Amino acid sequence: MIEEPYRWVEAIANRREYIEAQLAPGSPIAALGYHDGILFLTVAQTRQKLFEIYDRIAMGAIGHPGDIERLRMAAIELASTEGFTRSAADVSLRRLVHYSLSPVMKSAFEQVYGAPFLARMLFAEVGERAEEDLFLRVEYDGEIATNGATYAQVREDFAVLSGTRQSGELMEAFLKSQHAADASFEATLNSALDAWSIGHMSLLASDANELPERSAVLKHRQEQLASGGIEAALLERDANKAIRYRALLDTELRPLIND
Amino acid sequence: MERSPVALDQNFSGAAGDFPALLRRKGLLDAAVMSPMPQAQGAQKTWQPTEATTILAFKFSGGVLVAGDRRATAGNTVVYDRADKVLEIDRHSIMAIAGVPATAWEMARVLEHSFQYFRRTQLQEMSVDGKVRALSKLLRDNFGFVMQGVGVVVPIFATYDSHPKPDARLYFYDAMGAQFEATDYAATGSGSPAVRGILYYENNWGAKPLHKLSQDEAVSIALRALDTAAESDTSTGGVDRGGKIYPLMKIVSREGIITLPESKIAAVFKETVA
Repeated sequence: MIEEPYRWVEAIANRREYIEAQLAPGSPIAALGYHDGILFLTVAQTRQKLFEIYDRIAMGAIGHPGDIERLRMAAIELASTEGFTRSAADVSLRRLVHYSLSPVMKSAFEQVYGAPFLARMLFAEVGERAEEDLFLRVEYDGEIATNGATYAQVREDFAVLSGTRQSGELMEAFLKSQHAADASFEATLNSALDAWSIGHMSLLASDANELPERSAVLKHRQEQLASGGIEAALLERDANKAIRYRALLDTELRPLIND
Repeated sequence: MERSPVALDQNFSGAAGDFPALLRRKGLLDAAVMSPMPQAQGAQKTWQPTEATTILAFKFSGGVLVAGDRRATAGNTVVYDRADKVLEIDRHSIMAIAGVPATAWEMARVLEHSFQYFRRTQLQEMSVDGKVRALSKLLRDNFGFVMQGVGVVVPIFATYDSHPKPDARLYFYDAMGAQFEATDYAATGSGSPAVRGILYYENNWGAKPLHKLSQDEAVSIALRALDTAAESDTSTGGVDRGGKIYPLMKIVSREGIITLPESKIAAVFKETVA
């Protein structure tokens, strides 16, 4: 019976394996902080993956569209009611994720009779300065990863989301060496595209555990951009605007790509 | 049973993107009770709400000019002489208010959040017709307060419609929520009879019709109209020559909204009105 502790552990392990397999083909998303804001980028196949949540908060997600939609709605509802009853400055991504989304996702995951959320999400909140940018990645089981610094870890100005752990780690390794918080928009765009390509290549060749050659990355990037569209969004650091989110068009980005 | 902080409704479809409905569900917005307050015949009204008065808007060559005086009154008392009655709702919409500011500012807040909530949840901008209707609905929900003699709001809504025929659009409302599209101009509030007279006269027999005016000419007409209203209506501030307080003016056009700087209004005032 499932009530017995070891059965529960087994059921959870099965569930984790199932969800990981479902999420594995998810196309990577990169979010990079730079001088004038935060750039979200993915190469989209069909479905929209980047969304506006509130004035300074955006979200990217992979997983089942139905689950993503429920979580997205919940996030917008919470942020909007908070912003309405108090003020836009009181809407905080940290609170939204830590106190509201994560506990719900955790209990859905652990209640083995119910359905878990088949989704992995990446949130970003643009700060007044690059050091105040916040990135949060939320797993299907409510686990949260941040870009925050600890004594053993330096603060990062980027975050990634991908189908597999390995793919995400390769993207992070690349960005750690290539991306700087004070980069220009053009450099950031190209780093984001490279990071996406590296993550995507890793999903296709699951045994790769080292960063691919530069030429291979460029080749893959060109091939993918020939058939897919760039989906990108910006959270602007411009304090004169209340609403910082802006979707970017594929056509306005193409001329800025270095081939 | 207490609801979970994250309401994940399985059957969420009915009022998709309806922000006031969400607020009501969370108990953050109450519709006014629809029955008039029982008032004894001839009873003295002991309390009077703060009211804002006299706003106007008209189309000119550069879009729609929306202007409001700055006075807020309660009965025969001047409460405030720097009230802001011309409010930006989104990048292309302005709501100007005559009536009780407590209710009107709250309405503007609900409206502003409604448009953004719709865009974020539905992944598209709300249509101009949808926006016009959203304000109408808020007024209708507020009618209970109007019947009780508190909380009447009579707004003007100006916006720029980029679909299907790009043009600036102007609406005025009655207290129950009926919306009327104005072709040339609109004015509401206690000083509005005088303002409407002036705008009608200018549009028909002035140097040129309102829609052909340049920006400076438009500002000049708006200042003259508000000053005329203030001449006979004590609730309208007009231009405070001593305190150097000028009406607030904003312009809606295809490029968005601009707030005219006070120095600019002061210059036009000095040259053509004073």
